[in-house]
Amino acid sequence: MNLFNFFKRQGTAPVARDRLQILLAYERGSTRGAPDLLAILREEILTAVGRHVQIDSNRVNVRVDRGEKVSTLEVDIEIPNAVRMAPRRKRAVPMQRSAS
Amino acid sequence: MTSVANPRQSPRFVCRSYMAVALAPEPPLVDWIADIEQKIRDTGSFLVGPPVVLDLSSVKLSKSAIAHLVAQLEQRGVRVMGVENVDPSQMDTALPPLLRSTKRESADVSVPAPKARETQREKQQQVRETRSAPATLLLDKPVRSGQSIYFPDGDVTVLGSVGSGAELVAGGSIHVYGTLRGRAMAGSNGNARARIFCTKIEAELLAIDGHYLTADLMDMALRDRPVQAWLEGSALKISALD
Amino acid sequence: MAKVVVVTSGKGGVGKTTSTAALGAALAQHGQNVVVVDFDVGLRNLDLVMGAERRVVYDLINVTQGIAKLPQALIRDKRLERLALLPASQTRDKDALTEEGVSRVINSLKQMFDWVICDSPAGIERGATLAMRFADTAIIVTNPEVSSVRDSDRIIGILDAKTVKAERGERVDKHLLISRYDPARAARGEMLSIEDVLEILSTPLLGIIPESEEVLRASNLGSPVTFNNPSSAPARAYLDAARRLMGEEVEMTIPTEKQGFLGKLFGRRAA
Repeated sequence: MNLFNFFKRQGTAPVARDRLQILLAYERGSTRGAPDLLAILREEILTAVGRHVQIDSNRVNVRVDRGEKVSTLEVDIEIPNAVRMAPRRKRAVPMQRSAS
Repeated sequence: MTSVANPRQSPRFVCRSYMAVALAPEPPLVDWIADIEQKIRDTGSFLVGPPVVLDLSSVKLSKSAIAHLVAQLEQRGVRVMGVENVDPSQMDTALPPLLRSTKRESADVSVPAPKARETQREKQQQVRETRSAPATLLLDKPVRSGQSIYFPDGDVTVLGSVGSGAELVAGGSIHVYGTLRGRAMAGSNGNARARIFCTKIEAELLAIDGHYLTADLMDMALRDRPVQAWLEGSALKISALD
Repeated sequence: MAKVVVVTSGKGGVGKTTSTAALGAALAQHGQNVVVVDFDVGLRNLDLVMGAERRVVYDLINVTQGIAKLPQALIRDKRLERLALLPASQTRDKDALTEEGVSRVINSLKQMFDWVICDSPAGIERGATLAMRFADTAIIVTNPEVSSVRDSDRIIGILDAKTVKAERGERVDKHLLISRYDPARAARGEMLSIEDVLEILSTPLLGIIPESEEVLRASNLGSPVTFNNPSSAPARAYLDAARRLMGEEVEMTIPTEKQGFLGKLFGRRAA
């Protein structure tokens, strides 16, 4: 623990409150039937890309970060250079080990 | 849940005895059923599940009354597997089988029987009895909360503790080389000579031949000490071994 | 060979999730590749304690049902690159978990990590039995308090009966983690002693975690206590416990908060 931390020690409850507010706002929405915008965007992006290339679901990486004012959605799709490959070119991708 | 069968070989056929709980209804029946209901509530699952025999020596019931009584018990989860001490003319095939018909003086089956009863007894196949050379169930691990050990054939010996909320039921005696924190019921097949021994007592309930003591009725001075429990008449006695 | 560990207790509120996060982080800090898996379907919390709640996309149920691939559902810890989280679903119920599904996921995780740590829900129902089902090792979290100890005894019995290992006649390795231990209250005789708990449960001890505000602080911040303040008493206890889990011989102590230079200057604020 450094000096800075020491004087900041009292400050964890507000952090907890902020985290919960963001989380609960999202969870209340999703459990009461309100659509989750990030999930909709994610599906629509995948559908849109899927119209043009065959997506290997092993090669898709989705990351979200729900913030208070701004959320980010990262959809990382690996697109093979030879578009619309024959099915046999689909690679079976081994699961990756730990920290990559 | 452990139950180790000990089939006894015989050159011609194999006989087996099973343990059952005997219930002797007393008039008025309505009150008796209410008492049973209370008992089920107090002792938990003791009567619910294992087979039960109805000893009708204290009541005089018609065929339909017996059927009604059996149905009443079944409704409360008590399964009647047989009826005893009732006139065979009062029985029909819809009722549980008649195990023994002759009237005899009430209750206990296991106390060394007088000679006169001996011959009659030999004729019975479904007799609950004390074994001359009882089998022993040896458990080398602690008995954990929620586990139930049911061994009607003889003694149970536990090398380790019996957790709070665990249950031991033995036809013979119970020996616990550890702390007894749960429930121990010895002599469950009507053996009043069965005993309970443990190296440290914190038991929730001790019972021998159906006579029981709960923790709050046990002498606090005995807590945490090695003890034995035995039956004197209908009183369960506990004394320190150290 | 990867080890599957279940963190369980029977009773709720004894510190399973905190311990899962702290031990997972501690193992990662010791250089192991670790995934922590939340089995509390419907009431997930591990994501919050790990500070990953904003980053959940897919969950355990999605993976067992084939909706998402396992690597997509895994959330890498931002601070500890060797640590990953597989969150539980918050919107589904426990019946959505199947034994086959869980078995497949655990087997895949075993290929990817050194440690698969399953955070069991409280109770002895489906979620809890599935969390322990494939475990090689069980960590039973117990508070030195009668109801917790009794529930732990019950859980130990279930571990000996309902795990795949037990059904094969093998033994699940069992370790006791005593949490929320308050040495002052134990000294005053207001709390079961460590000896009492060990005697009652006759299970080897993995560690003793002292009651500390550091645990609350870490959970407020969403950072495992071993990472958030590694020199604090509970962090040291968890770091030691993790080393014991790895098979190292570490002397059993109950860490106490050291009075640092500033602590002395400002007096005992915590006392």
